[in-house]
Amino acid sequence: MSRDRIVVVCPGRGTYNQPEWGYLARHHANKSALLQTFDDYRVAQRQPGLRELDAQTPYALKIHSRGDHASALIYACAYADFLDIDRERFEVVAVTGKSMGWYIALAAAGALAPLEALRLINSMGRLMQESLLGGQLLYSLVDADWRALPGERERVLELAHAIDATADAAVFLSIELGGMLVFGGNEHGLRQLSAALPPRDRFPMRLFNHAAFHTPLQEPVRAQARAVLADLVMARPDLPLIDGRGQLWSPYSTDPAELWDYTLGHQLVEPYDFSQALRVALHEFAPDRIVVLGPGTTLGGAVAQLLIEQTWFDLASKADFVARQAADPVLLAMGMEAQRGLLQS
Amino acid sequence: MTSPAVEQNFLAAAQADAFPGPSASLSPAAVGLSPSQLVGLFESQVLSRQLDLHSRRMQARGESFYTIGSAGHEGNAAVAAALRVTDPAFLHYRSGAFFVQRARQLAGSTPTWDLLLSFAASSEDPIAGGRHKVFGSKALTVPPQTSTIASHLPKAVGAAFSLGLSKRLGTTGDWPGDSVVLCSFGDASFNHSTAQGALNTAAWTAYQGTPLPLIFVCEDNGIGISVPTPAGWIAAAASQRPGLHYLAADGLDLLDCYRAATAAVQIARRQKQPVFLHLACVRLLGHAGSDAQQSYLSPRQIAADEARDPLLYSAGLLRAHDILSCMQIRDLYESTGSRVAAAAAVAVRRPKLTTAAQIMRSIVPPPRTLAARGDVDLPIDDGQPKTMARLLNHALDRILMRYPQCFVAGEDVGRKGGVYGVTQRLQSKHGAHRVIDTLLDEQSILGLGIGAAQNGLLPIVEIQFLAYLHNAEDQLRGEAATLPFFSQGQFANPLVVRIAGLGYQKGFGGHFHNDNAIAVLRDIPGLLVACPANGADAVGLLQESLRLAAEEQRVVVVLEPIALYHQKDLRMADDGGWLHADPGPGARIAVGDFAQQGEGQDLAIISYANGYYLSCQAAPQLAADGVGLRLIDLRWLTAIDHDRLYESVKDCRRVLIVDECRRSGSLSEELMANLLERGLPSARLTAADSFIPLGVAATSTLPSVAQILERARSLLADGS
Repeated sequence: MSRDRIVVVCPGRGTYNQPEWGYLARHHANKSALLQTFDDYRVAQRQPGLRELDAQTPYALKIHSRGDHASALIYACAYADFLDIDRERFEVVAVTGKSMGWYIALAAAGALAPLEALRLINSMGRLMQESLLGGQLLYSLVDADWRALPGERERVLELAHAIDATADAAVFLSIELGGMLVFGGNEHGLRQLSAALPPRDRFPMRLFNHAAFHTPLQEPVRAQARAVLADLVMARPDLPLIDGRGQLWSPYSTDPAELWDYTLGHQLVEPYDFSQALRVALHEFAPDRIVVLGPGTTLGGAVAQLLIEQTWFDLASKADFVARQAADPVLLAMGMEAQRGLLQS
Repeated sequence: MTSPAVEQNFLAAAQADAFPGPSASLSPAAVGLSPSQLVGLFESQVLSRQLDLHSRRMQARGESFYTIGSAGHEGNAAVAAALRVTDPAFLHYRSGAFFVQRARQLAGSTPTWDLLLSFAASSEDPIAGGRHKVFGSKALTVPPQTSTIASHLPKAVGAAFSLGLSKRLGTTGDWPGDSVVLCSFGDASFNHSTAQGALNTAAWTAYQGTPLPLIFVCEDNGIGISVPTPAGWIAAAASQRPGLHYLAADGLDLLDCYRAATAAVQIARRQKQPVFLHLACVRLLGHAGSDAQQSYLSPRQIAADEARDPLLYSAGLLRAHDILSCMQIRDLYESTGSRVAAAAAVAVRRPKLTTAAQIMRSIVPPPRTLAARGDVDLPIDDGQPKTMARLLNHALDRILMRYPQCFVAGEDVGRKGGVYGVTQRLQSKHGAHRVIDTLLDEQSILGLGIGAAQNGLLPIVEIQFLAYLHNAEDQLRGEAATLPFFSQGQFANPLVVRIAGLGYQKGFGGHFHNDNAIAVLRDIPGLLVACPANGADAVGLLQESLRLAAEEQRVVVVLEPIALYHQKDLRMADDGGWLHADPGPGARIAVGDFAQQGEGQDLAIISYANGYYLSCQAAPQLAADGVGLRLIDLRWLTAIDHDRLYESVKDCRRVLIVDECRRSGSLSEELMANLLERGLPSARLTAADSFIPLGVAATSTLPSVAQILERARSLLADGS
């Protein structure tokens, strides 16, 4: 029987929240050897272990969403989820990720050994948390049916650009996220942008404990990271990887030194184009389904919006998407119990 | 569907670890390639091959329509690798691996999908939108070419020339100033006169030290459809040209290709000299999907070619240098095939063009912002009436002052100032780089304009005589006019072509200097043709033509009647009746805006150029007959608003069309048909279906004042 061809999408920050609390215990108690190596590493770094954080009561936004904790927690959950995919029934044709999800994608694709990925993620989470340069703001560009509002993207980008040009304000495009944009900037800039954007549903939304990732404000982090992680051991991936520019890294032709350079270079200070990564995944691999690793399910919206943008799987609206998901889901989120079950052996 | 022999060969070689060994003793490091880069090139080759194979599978299912492929030419991936994404590449139809490799060099590219959409003729094909299978991409600096006969080579020469010119003009071209232009073609089309003309022009240009960073890539597979190229012909014919560097490489050997390509790029980029890069390739899978090569090649010849598959040699390199295992090579090949198959299954379901309106949407390119400078001190006209030639000269002078991107080029336009003096003193005033004396080759002159226009310059090229256009008209028809169409307006080549033509030259005559055949200009979608009858209109039409090129990216021909260049008089010697005052820099005559003289209701004469001039001469005598006359000068010979024209003449008792071009194929046919379709019969007076003779007989086949009078009177005498 031919396997379903799937593209795996790795989640970024902000996906381990109260509902996900206890994720490792719930889903990955069977991976104690792996999680033990993670915890050992954390303890050696004088950080709380991941299983300890996962079990710590009560869930505390202040603790669990800290960069140095959240990043590693999300990685452990997502990587463990990836291991749970039944490869007998599902062929992973490419792996991509959103923002920090890129690091997880590196691990899933085999370009980083699991513990080396933790070292990268933990180090980056710590550097981000220590510097906490700027913040992020999320805004939507689609209507209630997840279709692009004509001209909205240009208007919003122009507005951000205009604010960035004012004194003391710094605002940059941070992430292209399906039907949404994430901006990174300094407090002054983001406050102005937040005030200037017309309220729409939950947006504009400030992202707690996030820094201005993927913007020039991260230059100091980039410099530090390149020094601290100069010895990070990268390899050719086993699976095709798609980065935050939509660049394809092949299992055969990838130069690990270039992969290192991109990972600790471009993507830290330039916008992360998750939308283009997904377009490339769809166009170049034409998967049967998309799988979003847990924890959380929030990335599913962005993926669905992108599918609608591309009228992929004949989806032209949120209603189409909801109907298709009910009948024969094309987007499988491992953070959703029912869909998770479809992927596991 | 059974897999073709080339696929079976490849998989069998992988199974047996029996790929051919390298033909040269080069190593990846010696040519400057890392192992990863070499694998990357191989991946491009494999993807190109898989696209070719799937194109044929799609065609067998009725899902693809044009299967001419790249199999056997995949060595061109190494040429792409030696260039930058921003180096303009005018590619022929066997450039799949080049295109894929270039796409690898720009993050976010989706070559598999883009090419599959192109095969499937989907309206979502990002370059042609379903209009043709082409290799093209705005982001990858690959203007689409549909040429199968190397007719894209002249524009590549023009594009390369524009790089240096752009710098001298102090303008920022669309391409970086240190770009290298590449064009590719096969060994069969190498023989085409257009290719030979372009090679000659490049050599002629470089021979005199003019910068020309250009690489001609001749991909020599030894056969043109069914006709073999004589062994050694390309090397013998191309390697000894003055001004042209010649480099050769084994197109089956990625390392040798890359070595030669980097050397070629170095010469072109650093020395700014043209290079002929000769790649020995092999043609696999026949000429195209419909070509049964077994009808003209023996099974042994076909098998011998298949054994020379560049993919086998590339895999051999990877094995010889211990870069990939056979299993990895096989996996790479098959996983690429799987993803192409999966993407193809989706691509064939994407939307298609369905209506004429959708198809025609891109005939006219989109507007752009390129306004004339308003801050230059233009010469003050003395207000005296002048000839058309003089007024055109003044208008050109102003245009060169107001558009810094503009240049004039043609035979004898510089030092001599044009054979009729229209460009006199422009070179001394604006410089030899802006008023360029070209060599005698109309294809190259048009190619110069077309190529330079794509780099953001604003060319005015001159064809010295209308008769000389005919050997080169495909440059307008097949190349300039189609570029927006095959790129959905993403690429355009806005330019103005001035052509001196039409009959009635006194005391001269002869076909070549009096040609009155303009049908070739009038049926080209999107092309505009202006044709003045007097100097003031000539200024208005030329200035509007420039604006159309500058702001609307149009290709406009200004057909200038030679016989009226220096005409001063209308009715008698020294009456100065055909001298006109300069209407000034603001004068513009919009497309379709015809001129009307008189409101008479007895007879309307519709004409243009000399025919209009003669009609003006006949007018007083008709008036003396008591005829209420209305004269219409069309001024634009394409995009005629026939409804408006009909409205302008429908209240006249009779309509006479005076057309100085031939009875067959002249504008008169279109005018009569359109008036009749609107219920208004008309008569016509045209030139005979003849060539123009010499001397006193020069006007004998053309309409005359006497004939106009006779025809008008007989029409009016008819009581019906």
